[in-house]
Parts: sequence; structure tokens; C-alpha cells
Amino acid sequence: MRELTKGFIKENPIFILMLGLCPALAVSTQVVNALGMSAGVIFVLLGSNIMVSLLKNFIPDEIHIPVYIVIIATFVTLVDLLMQAYAPALSRSLGVFVQLIVVNCIILGRAEAFASKNGVKDSIMDALSMGLGFFFGLTLIALIREVLGAGTITLFPMGNFNGVIEVPGLVQAPVRIISLSAGALFVVGYLKAMFNWISSRPGKEEI
Amino acid sequence: MTDTMEKAGKLALICALSALLLGVVNSVTEPIIAIRKAAELKAALENLLETGTPGPREDLEDEGTIKARYSVTGADAWILEFIGMGYGGDMKVLASYDFNGEIQDVVLMDNAETPGLGKKAEADGYMDKFIGTGGTTPVPVTKNELEAPDEVSGATITFAGIAAPLKEGSAYVKALGDDK
Repeated sequence: MRELTKGFIKENPIFILMLGLCPALAVSTQVVNALGMSAGVIFVLLGSNIMVSLLKNFIPDEIHIPVYIVIIATFVTLVDLLMQAYAPALSRSLGVFVQLIVVNCIILGRAEAFASKNGVKDSIMDALSMGLGFFFGLTLIALIREVLGAGTITLFPMGNFNGVIEVPGLVQAPVRIISLSAGALFVVGYLKAMFNWISSRPGKEEI
Repeated sequence: MTDTMEKAGKLALICALSALLLGVVNSVTEPIIAIRKAAELKAALENLLETGTPGPREDLEDEGTIKARYSVTGADAWILEFIGMGYGGDMKVLASYDFNGEIQDVVLMDNAETPGLGKKAEADGYMDKFIGTGGTTPVPVTKNELEAPDEVSGATITFAGIAAPLKEGSAYVKALGDDK
């Protein structure tokens, strides 16, 4: 269980390990993008961790990085093709950031640091933990940025629901800088400080 | 030498397996994507016109950002297809014009703009700033020419990448006159 929950606070990939910051800053302008990006990252992380763990004794050390990149790129291309075919709205919304999962440090980092040294079961738990931690961190950043920067919360449209929840007061007068690049750095910086404070509190090391 | 060959062989094997897997998935998804894109293009062309039916696509060469045109049956209009340069690379834009070069409607198609910023150009109402311009009123090509410049804050490159081709399209249609 500790293996599964470590990614949320103690080893949160965005705020503690500082991995995957580029997509975290870039796609966190809307909550729906964070949800879509997280789903893609979790799928690729699971697939790559399983494959790297299965092939760890087959892959010579000298070529392990190119092999990991080929494995990761394969799963990313799978996600991209499947999204284009079956979730075109999400694919359009995420644009180039789906392909950029290939160079997301979390994926390569976990393949190198964990999956290449552990069994399949533990690698699956690690992928889920880190993936859900990324989902938690990215969604938190996106929620703060979208609510403050645009006064809305954008989710997936369903039936008569157009997918956009407007926050009274903020939708008329949003703090627009929060939705811009500088706002992303502000939000991530303050959240990083908060996570540092939480993880450094005495007696809370096991969260 | 044998050791190097073994490593190269293993890397080649993994690449081949990846290519095989992607080939299988691509063969399944490609027709679905092609059908969806054709349906999206058909719907976009029809939505650009209040009356009339778009004709076949005619590719254009040496016309700058204008890549193709569609004549319209039943209305004095043209539809032009542009490739503009956005923040994330090429953007495909479709726009309908009357014979005076006035923009009737615009839609942003394939693009790789930033979600939440440049991607706002896909939203309903974004293109309203261009509609009705190009005839007697000039097409706004800079942020300062807009009534609400804040609308394009954070995505001025996207705005310029759409506006400049639209202006070019207006001049092109005016030069055509009513010659179909």
C-alpha cells in the first residue's frame, strides 16, 4: 500500500521529485487537459514500466536508454493513434503535448530508477503510484490556474452539460496572469513550498 | 565484434516488434481517423456558408498562405484554405468570402496551439472579430486594431497567424472578382 500511495505526497513526481514539469506547466491551463494528459501518462507509464521490467535481463546495459526510448515512444504513439481515432476532441485539445509524453522525465525516470531493477508487480505499483501522483499534482495546478485565471472549471461535456462550470465573481474578472506562463510558475512555486512544508513536518514522514 | 552485433541485434529486434505493433494499431485506426477528418471537413465547409453548396477542392500553387479554394454553387462566394503559422507550427484555416472579399465565416481546423491559450481560437465566437471585415473594413492584423485586445492576450502569435492569411485571402478574392 505504501508503494501505491508514495506518489501523492512523499514522492510526488511534480512537487517533490520535480519531474515532468514542462507538461505540468504547459497543459495545466484547463482541468480537462490535466485529466486527459494524466490518463495518457498513466497508460504510457504502466506500459513502459511493465515492458522494461519484463525485458530488464534481456536489455544490455550499454543500449538501455535507446531501448527505453523506443518502448516509451511506442506506447505514446499508441495513445496518440487511439486518441485520434476514439477521442478526437481530447486529442485536439491536448495537441502536441501527447507526443511530448515521450520526453516526459517521469516515464524515463521511473523506467531507469525503478522498473529496470524490480519485478513486474512492483513496477506496476510504482507506475500507478507515480501516475496517480502526477494526476493529483497536475489536476491541482490546473484547478487553481483555471479557477483563478479564467473563472471556469472545464470538464468533459456530457449530454446537456457543455463541460464548463463558471465560478461566480471570477468569471467576470479573472486574474488573467495566472492562466499565462508566469502564473504557472507562481502556482507551481507556491504548491512546491506547501508540499515541502507538509513533507518536512515532524512525524509525517510516512505519508 | 560479436558482442556489438548482439547488442545491435537486440535493439533491432525491439524496434521491429515496436514497428509491428504500431503497424497493426495504425491499420485499425487509420480508416477511422480518415473518415472522421473527411466528415469534419465536410461539416466545416457547409457551416461556413449560409446558402450554397461547396464545390470540389482546387489546389493552388504560388499563392502564399492560400493552399486551396472551393467554388460555391448557389451563392456568390469562395471558400479558401490557408496554412498559417501559429505558436505550435502550421495551422489549417478555412474561410468563406463574398465576391467583394468580405469575410463571411472562419474556422480553425488542424493545429498544435497551446491548450488554454492559442487553442481558444477554436472556440465559438473567437472568429467574430474577423467576420464582416475584408470588404470596406480592413481585416484586423494586430492586437491594437481589435475592440477587445485582451481576448487574444497570451496568444498573439496564433491571432496573427490567422489574421495575416485572412487578409491575404481577401485581396485574392477581390482580384478574382466574380470570375468563377
